[in-house]
Amino acid sequence: MTVIFVENLNKKFGPNHVLKGVDCHIREREVVCVIGPSGSGKSTFLRCMNGLESITSGSIVINKHRLDDSKTNINLVRQEAGMVFQHFNLFPHLKVIDNVMLAPLKVAKANKDEARAKAEMLLAKVGLAEKMEAFPGSLSGGQMQRVAIARALAMDPKIMLFDEPTSALDPEIVGEVLTVMKDLANEGMTMVVVTHEMGFAREVADRVLFMDQGLIVEEGSPDEIFSSPRNARTQGFLSKVL
Amino acid sequence: MFRAFDWQDLIPLAKGAWLTIQLCAMSGILGVIFGLILGIARTSPSRIARWISTIYISCVRGIPILVIIFFIFFGIPLLFPGLELDKFTSAVIALTCFAAAYVAEIVRGSIEAVSRGQSEAADALGLNYWAKLRYVVMPQARKIMVPPGVGFIIGLVKDSSLVTVTGLVELTHAGNIVTNLTGDPIMTFLTVAAMYFVICYSISLLGRLYEKRTGIQVDPLKLPEPASV
Repeated sequence: MTVIFVENLNKKFGPNHVLKGVDCHIREREVVCVIGPSGSGKSTFLRCMNGLESITSGSIVINKHRLDDSKTNINLVRQEAGMVFQHFNLFPHLKVIDNVMLAPLKVAKANKDEARAKAEMLLAKVGLAEKMEAFPGSLSGGQMQRVAIARALAMDPKIMLFDEPTSALDPEIVGEVLTVMKDLANEGMTMVVVTHEMGFAREVADRVLFMDQGLIVEEGSPDEIFSSPRNARTQGFLSKVL
Repeated sequence: MFRAFDWQDLIPLAKGAWLTIQLCAMSGILGVIFGLILGIARTSPSRIARWISTIYISCVRGIPILVIIFFIFFGIPLLFPGLELDKFTSAVIALTCFAAAYVAEIVRGSIEAVSRGQSEAADALGLNYWAKLRYVVMPQARKIMVPPGVGFIIGLVKDSSLVTVTGLVELTHAGNIVTNLTGDPIMTFLTVAAMYFVICYSISLLGRLYEKRTGIQVDPLKLPEPASV
């Protein structure tokens, strides 16, 4: 079943045409990695999928919600599509556990004991049960990003969007975040991951999209993209990063 | 006909100081309430709210406070003939109008100083505008707005001396009266100055206490501990 439909998506920032007609369908339980050079529009593409960027033209349908329809309640879409940011964006004034509990309590109106039990379970899952009562400022980058993943999972999203989740991390702690993401992929979460981690894309992705200059230039299985890219721009990019 | 400044003169000065405290407490509290509303409106997604608050803030900031005091004191009774305002009420209204505009700018600046990523993270979790403001943005903005807010309230105490022109016997006016009785402006106004100083310094101590109690729990310069996998 297809859960994300993106058709002829265009996005302009003033005169800057960032997305020039992106088409993409993503199935349930699929893990899609989006790669490409800086400025190719991959983050903008991802941010359009939960309404953090408005759409200039085209359409996006997430789980039957039309994002280009102004009557759609964007907050409902966001509950179904969790987002993890490059810079974590944890709430520094709240303890780790309260970061994870905030949306269940204030958006889903869950009761406090249930929300807490769930947050404890999620933090244990990302390996941070012992950091529940800490403030984000006392955590390492890798720990913060794992909390951010737990926070996004707390709303039981059907889709997870990752915007360069390891780009702000020191190389030696990238692995701990990728491990959590791999587990999530193995559990069958539908994931769209904008990343520079080619190893992760190769190992975990079902499909890799290569974007350049606002378009999906090439897509295919990791093997097709990494071993035998057909497009000259994909070849050029991969020859620099691999 | 003059007599020397003595301890008895402290009584009218203390009464004046008490009136100044009441005046500033009321206009300070009301100014903060309206300032919060205006400051939030100034950053709201609603164009009309932004528009109204921007016009108000620009107008008030472009008018000398003395003109506002005169306008409220002399203008309101003419505009609304049935309305009788005593000197204290009109002084509170004038200082509140003035304070609201400046507090609103402090609030706006503090809200905008909270990083955009915080707001995006709240959006991405599905929090609506009011939940985002209440649980994510304002708790962080509050810490940023306290120091300039306290500074402004201290300024308000000193600016409140301008309402002396309406004949309200606040601290400065009381000083004038005592000077006329004693002919000793040096001792009188030294006492008046000391009283203003005590009021302002107390506010700044309260502000520091509040900052300490609600301070950021984590030292931002602390190095992250080594990661455990």
